Amino acid sequence: MNRTPALIALVIAAAVLLAAGPMVLPPFYVRVGQLMLYSAGLGLAWGILGGFAGYASFGHAAFIGVGAFIAGLVENQFSTLPTALLLPVGLLAAAAACAILSALIAYPILRLRGTFFAIAMLGVSHVCAEVTNNIDFFQGSMGLNFPPIAPAGMDPANFFYELYLAGALLILLTAWQIKRSRFGAGLLSIREDEDTARMLGVPTERYKRTAFVISAVLTGLMGVIYAHSLGYITTDSVYRDDTNLSLIVYSLLGGMGTLFGPVIGAFLLVFITQVILGRLLDFHLFATGLLLVLLILAAPGGVSGLLKRRKTA
Amino acid sequence: MSVLEVRGVSKNFRGLAAISDVSFAIAEGSITSIIGPNGAGKSTMFNLITGYLPPTAGEIRFKEKRITGLPTNRIAELGVARAFQIARPFRDLSVFENVRIGALFGKAGARDVAVTTRRAMELASIAHLAEQPAAALTVGQLRHLEVARAIATRADLLLADEPCAGLNPTETAAMIDVLRQVRKNGVTVVLVEHDMPSVMEVSDRLLVLDAGRLIGDGPPQAVANDPKVIAAYLGTPDAA
Amino acid sequence: MGLIAQTLADGLVLGGIYALAAVGFSLIFGVLHVINLSHGILVLMGAYLALIFSEALHIDPLLCLPAVMAVLFCVGYCYQRYLIQHAVDRASINSMLLTFGVALMLQNAMIWLFSPDMKSITPSYAFASFKLGPVNFDAVRVSALIASLVLLSLLAAFLRYSPMGRVIRATAQQTLAARLCGVNVRHVYALTFAVSAAFAGAAGIVIGIILPFSPNDEGTWTLNAFVVVVLGGVGSPAGALIGGLLLGLVSTLTAQYVGPAFPNVTMFLLLVILLLIRPQGLLGNAFSASR
Repeated sequence: MNRTPALIALVIAAAVLLAAGPMVLPPFYVRVGQLMLYSAGLGLAWGILGGFAGYASFGHAAFIGVGAFIAGLVENQFSTLPTALLLPVGLLAAAAACAILSALIAYPILRLRGTFFAIAMLGVSHVCAEVTNNIDFFQGSMGLNFPPIAPAGMDPANFFYELYLAGALLILLTAWQIKRSRFGAGLLSIREDEDTARMLGVPTERYKRTAFVISAVLTGLMGVIYAHSLGYITTDSVYRDDTNLSLIVYSLLGGMGTLFGPVIGAFLLVFITQVILGRLLDFHLFATGLLLVLLILAAPGGVSGLLKRRKTA
Repeated sequence: MSVLEVRGVSKNFRGLAAISDVSFAIAEGSITSIIGPNGAGKSTMFNLITGYLPPTAGEIRFKEKRITGLPTNRIAELGVARAFQIARPFRDLSVFENVRIGALFGKAGARDVAVTTRRAMELASIAHLAEQPAAALTVGQLRHLEVARAIATRADLLLADEPCAGLNPTETAAMIDVLRQVRKNGVTVVLVEHDMPSVMEVSDRLLVLDAGRLIGDGPPQAVANDPKVIAAYLGTPDAA
Repeated sequence: MGLIAQTLADGLVLGGIYALAAVGFSLIFGVLHVINLSHGILVLMGAYLALIFSEALHIDPLLCLPAVMAVLFCVGYCYQRYLIQHAVDRASINSMLLTFGVALMLQNAMIWLFSPDMKSITPSYAFASFKLGPVNFDAVRVSALIASLVLLSLLAAFLRYSPMGRVIRATAQQTLAARLCGVNVRHVYALTFAVSAAFAGAAGIVIGIILPFSPNDEGTWTLNAFVVVVLGGVGSPAGALIGGLLLGLVSTLTAQYVGPAFPNVTMFLLLVILLLIRPQGLLGNAFSASR
């Protein structure tokens, strides 16, 4: 328990260090850094439902896509607003859209458990993608432009890097607060044994729905930043199946249900695929798949699980 | 005052009557055992009280309030706790964390989680195991954990499903001791139990279920000598 | 009238193929409780193998069935025995992720080997067709449907009457009891997987002669199989047939009357409605098995 202040100090130090990154890093590594922070944020948001409550979603790209497209459509409506206000408006719209969507589907979909839930979420992601692509209003097939929001005089790459960092920190803080709360303990008991949890008075249905909505909203926020950093999105650039998969791999790699697991996993996986395998673009899927297979066979508890086993052995 | 009232409760599974028209009331602060041959409907009775299954007919009242139809977690919040026969611990968590979940949730109202957790573990005499992972416990210790977790919810009524099944005499004696301690702390206890010596020793009252019907009700000695009850267990002499 | 009859007929043809494509997935799920996310890959393997065989030997693709099924039988056996078995004893999500990883690797390998372009198998009777009342039938689709139904019946008969089939069913129902009776469960699992892979491969051939295919389709076929299983029930050819026909009808009716882009949306809505009405699934055990 008295490790907490040290941990907070460590996180603050790491955040300051990371924030200073763009000033010293070459452009390639700023881009890698962006991807790391984006992935870590998504992984943390996924973990609130998948790691804490044990409801592993296979379709969180749905919320990236919904967040991005709703934000884009709304921001384009308000294009007369000053630039500094566009992003907040977009984030707000995305949060609302993701909250509504997730609250609506939570009721039926959270009745499913384990693999059924995972696949049903994959279905949600595919349906959202199809709707975005085929209804002209969403402009998914022809693409949607995002207004530039980086302040004048600042390199957009550096600006988005800091934005991703802010987003990831916000999600880390949320996840941390949840984990140490009564709500977090309830989610943990749901992951362990849902029926027993209910028998002990844990309001399992309400908790699951709440975790789902929080996770969806936070994912949507990261989606908005992502869309802005791309500047122009189509259906395929936000609803990506490799994102759906990666979110699980981050937690698997770093440690399922732990606070920092998704961060460690995201940093590692992005480093491996972007830096080490950066030149082998054709084998990207192959490498990710192989990594997943090896991980399941060799270290089902992730990196932190390996460390723990070392300690107890 | 009766803490639990079961009124005319029936439960059918696809036409098969598991419980038919059973009524009884449980007095506050008592230890009552529900006995009966296998398949008599004892565990079904627990499932009905905790809201895990809805009854086909009848109603159940807890502290004067109708609880039939409420979700399981609401019934737990009112103060009904259950300890399973086949222990269902949160395997990845420590004993302390298991009991703490009970203390964090369970009966609504003011709570002091740390104290409640500690007291529940002491009451069930597993305080020395606090840091052990639940997965490392023996069957007997797991039963104690079940009771501790249930008590930590600050329940007024503990439903214990065969707490002594499969335990050796020493473990059984320890469990009976725990149940007495629980009652002493003001919790009403209802047991489903097969182990007749422990039942006779610990209970104030026996309820006998046979084929879903209540066929006996009274103090242990009287019920044990009731010809109807003996017949249910051993078969009637003229039945052949 | 003519349009609706044609749509229904097309739906049934498509449904028969969906059923064949899903039956292996269903069997693996019913017996091993593994969600095989590489199922679509096995289907595509069948299609590509048939393409290679029929072009190399200049024979009708349906004549490649035995060879393709034999190859996939071996692939399936080894895949289960030497890879999935290691994850099967742990949490169900692990075996699912393992098969997903394999699917990614093989999809990448297929793109590399066969290019990401659409391919199709063209049998000699590709453009023949005949009319039955107002409804038009292509020879290709009819032969595909017949092949599907024959194969499904064969599998049903195998499971019902052959000693091996009985052992598979017994293991699915009571794994522990089967083990106590001296059944080598690992061997049975691997055999089940082998049979399932063989039928996935057969489905691949049938799909190959009526639809163009590419490595990117694997996810669609896996997802379809999953929906078929939820609709029809786990572990039996009859369930797969019911689910497949339902899905086929829903897809063609939606494509015809709502819009060509919406079959997946309706399919998913149907799934959600089903789950709301029967949260435990059409077959109760299907959902408890996932934990």
